[in-house]
Amino acid sequence: MNGRCVRELVRKEFLQLFRDRRNRPLLIVAPLLQLILFGYVVTTDVRETRLAVVDESRTPLSRSLIEAFAASPAFRLQASAADARSLEEDLLQRRVDLGIHIASDFAVRLTARRPAEVQLLFDGSLSHLTSQRAAAAQAVIEDWNRRLLSLGSEPRSPAGGGIEGRIRTWYNPNLESRPYFVPGIVAFLVMLLSLLFTSLAIVREKEAGTMEQLIVTPLRPVEFLLGKTIPFFLVAQGQMVLVIGFARAWFEVPLAGSAVFLFAASGLFLVCTLGVGLWISTVSRTQQQAVLTTFLFLVPFFLLSGFVFPIERMPLLVRAAARLNPLAHFLVIVRGVFLKGVGPTVLWPSCLALAGIGAIVFGAALLKFRKRPG
Amino acid sequence: MRARCIRAVARKEMIHLLRDPRSLALAFLIPLLLVLLFGYALSLDVEELAAAVVDRDCSPESRDLIRRIDASRAFAVRAELETDTALSRAIDAGRVSVGWVVPAGWGAALRAGRPAPLQVLIDGSDPNTGSQARAFAAALIERLNAERRGGRHAGVPPAVEARIRIWFNENLESRTFIVPGILAVILMIAGALLASTAIAREAESGTLETLRMLPLTAGELTAGKALPYVAVAWIDVLAAAVLAWGVFGIAPRAGIAGFLLASFLYILVAVGTGLLLSALAGSQLVATQLAILATYLPSLLLSDFVFPRQNMPSALQALSALVPATYFIDLLNGFYLRGIPASGLWPSFLVLFGMAVALAAGCVWAVRREGF
Repeated sequence: MNGRCVRELVRKEFLQLFRDRRNRPLLIVAPLLQLILFGYVVTTDVRETRLAVVDESRTPLSRSLIEAFAASPAFRLQASAADARSLEEDLLQRRVDLGIHIASDFAVRLTARRPAEVQLLFDGSLSHLTSQRAAAAQAVIEDWNRRLLSLGSEPRSPAGGGIEGRIRTWYNPNLESRPYFVPGIVAFLVMLLSLLFTSLAIVREKEAGTMEQLIVTPLRPVEFLLGKTIPFFLVAQGQMVLVIGFARAWFEVPLAGSAVFLFAASGLFLVCTLGVGLWISTVSRTQQQAVLTTFLFLVPFFLLSGFVFPIERMPLLVRAAARLNPLAHFLVIVRGVFLKGVGPTVLWPSCLALAGIGAIVFGAALLKFRKRPG
Repeated sequence: MRARCIRAVARKEMIHLLRDPRSLALAFLIPLLLVLLFGYALSLDVEELAAAVVDRDCSPESRDLIRRIDASRAFAVRAELETDTALSRAIDAGRVSVGWVVPAGWGAALRAGRPAPLQVLIDGSDPNTGSQARAFAAALIERLNAERRGGRHAGVPPAVEARIRIWFNENLESRTFIVPGILAVILMIAGALLASTAIAREAESGTLETLRMLPLTAGELTAGKALPYVAVAWIDVLAAAVLAWGVFGIAPRAGIAGFLLASFLYILVAVGTGLLLSALAGSQLVATQLAILATYLPSLLLSDFVFPRQNMPSALQALSALVPATYFIDLLNGFYLRGIPASGLWPSFLVLFGMAVALAAGCVWAVRREGF
């Protein structure tokens, strides 16, 4: 291994990367733009459920129930529909997510101390949100019931008995989306950029015909691959610092654990992604091929990482495949450090897995790479 | 516009595509992989969540409670632990997501009609799983209480009873909306990403000069370049739709013709976007980066696909109105879930048509700028 050779190649790659004026904004603006986009959009909170009401009762009681819904942050009163038909039309046209139908005998039955029914029609298109919305609606109604009972002369009957659920939520007590998703976005973005840039690094030389010139230099294959990788490693680590800093400043996502450990782990992760990128680059002939192959890896990496879809709910075979996914391991680390504040004592299995995958992938790229024309 | 010229350019581009069988195979493989993954493996719904119990009571009531937790659709009891520390370690390591702690004397308190507190610990780091788990745990406790009340003395019935009905996706399976919705993402990958290198490649390798020598107009070059990519994306749509129907039984409830027309318009938009970026970018690296930024991520995130539009800040809502996938998702939702005919969805059709026309004009303008 000749240190000077590697250094010269690194210098050339840096020059090439920054010489193209159009590359520069991509390196800095693209990750930040995507972070903002993801950060605002990726949420599974139940907020602003659009609500339409048909109130055939038109009494103070029915209006107070509607107000209870309007006051809840989970719902936003969109419109009052004239009748049941127009309510169904609203749902069909996706103007509302929930329709409430209060029958004309609502107040009569309540004052007679008989149970009154309220119909809730949900648009079930987004199933994961619908079950939460249904629970939120139930909670609003139960709350309203309790208030109604305590307002009347009758106290809550044989109070006390029964199971009392004391439900506590750990790590993310308000169940907010951002502290969970933003750290994940950081990991995903760094992978996207490092994979794409390295996968194009060698193919570009092949397509432009400059590969021949590099072949006649006294560079050995290891030196060549190192020289091609080190610049992207440094750029990706820089992007990591940038994106994490931005995530903390803009989205105010707390970092519970150690930043030093996080960067060390991200170094291991980058060895994996850069290895995959190099491997793609050595087996591709054109940039179009390289981009598509990158996508073939990127899509399952993203989907089978637990970023949005939890791994433990996948079938056994797919779960086994997810074990080979470097992003899945890195997400465990990133979320562990950001949310739970745990360190190497808990996260060492994931670090070990990353090191193993990185060694295998890099070795494969090295074996595959031959200094030969064409 | 001469058909012969368009055919010639299309043939040349097709040869490029066919000479690179791997790119072509990938253009078909990635979509099928996505449909299969979403159909089989990926779900946002909470089912059989790993739970652990700490039973310090060991009374008939507590054993019954644990059986009930295990029998519910939402939870599966994976472990019985002795101590709270063991439980918190299991949650820390992510082995279980929910912990139920039954304190000593719980069953006796329940029998005596005294309040019987029960602790439930939920790993909330994933807010989607966490909040669904919380809702299911509360519902389970509520149900047990209602049964006990009903068994002994019918207390005051609740004043208002909610009658909940779910439309369009009656079994609440995320697969029902994700499998058709993924078409919007697939077509953007197949159309825009593939086409994004089409003109930039010629510019990079200098063959754009050669093309300039030919008696081609800008319109003919654009149409000829677009045709093969439209064909590839078209095969992708059919393959994905047939797969979704054949393997998962997910098919449009209405309007096959409308679905095909919508897909065709959307393909034109996708390929048009790719070509426009390709003509403007100059290099393949920049073109593909821009294509990912401008098409793949917005179709996934800003299109009302998994993340509802009304949750976004207003600036992003405005941006989402510019994303073609928003309208295609609306159409897909109409055909696949709500089952309404094409005539009921004309506004989205109109927008997609307008976008296709505007992009075609944009492509011709950009190609003309290159000297055609």
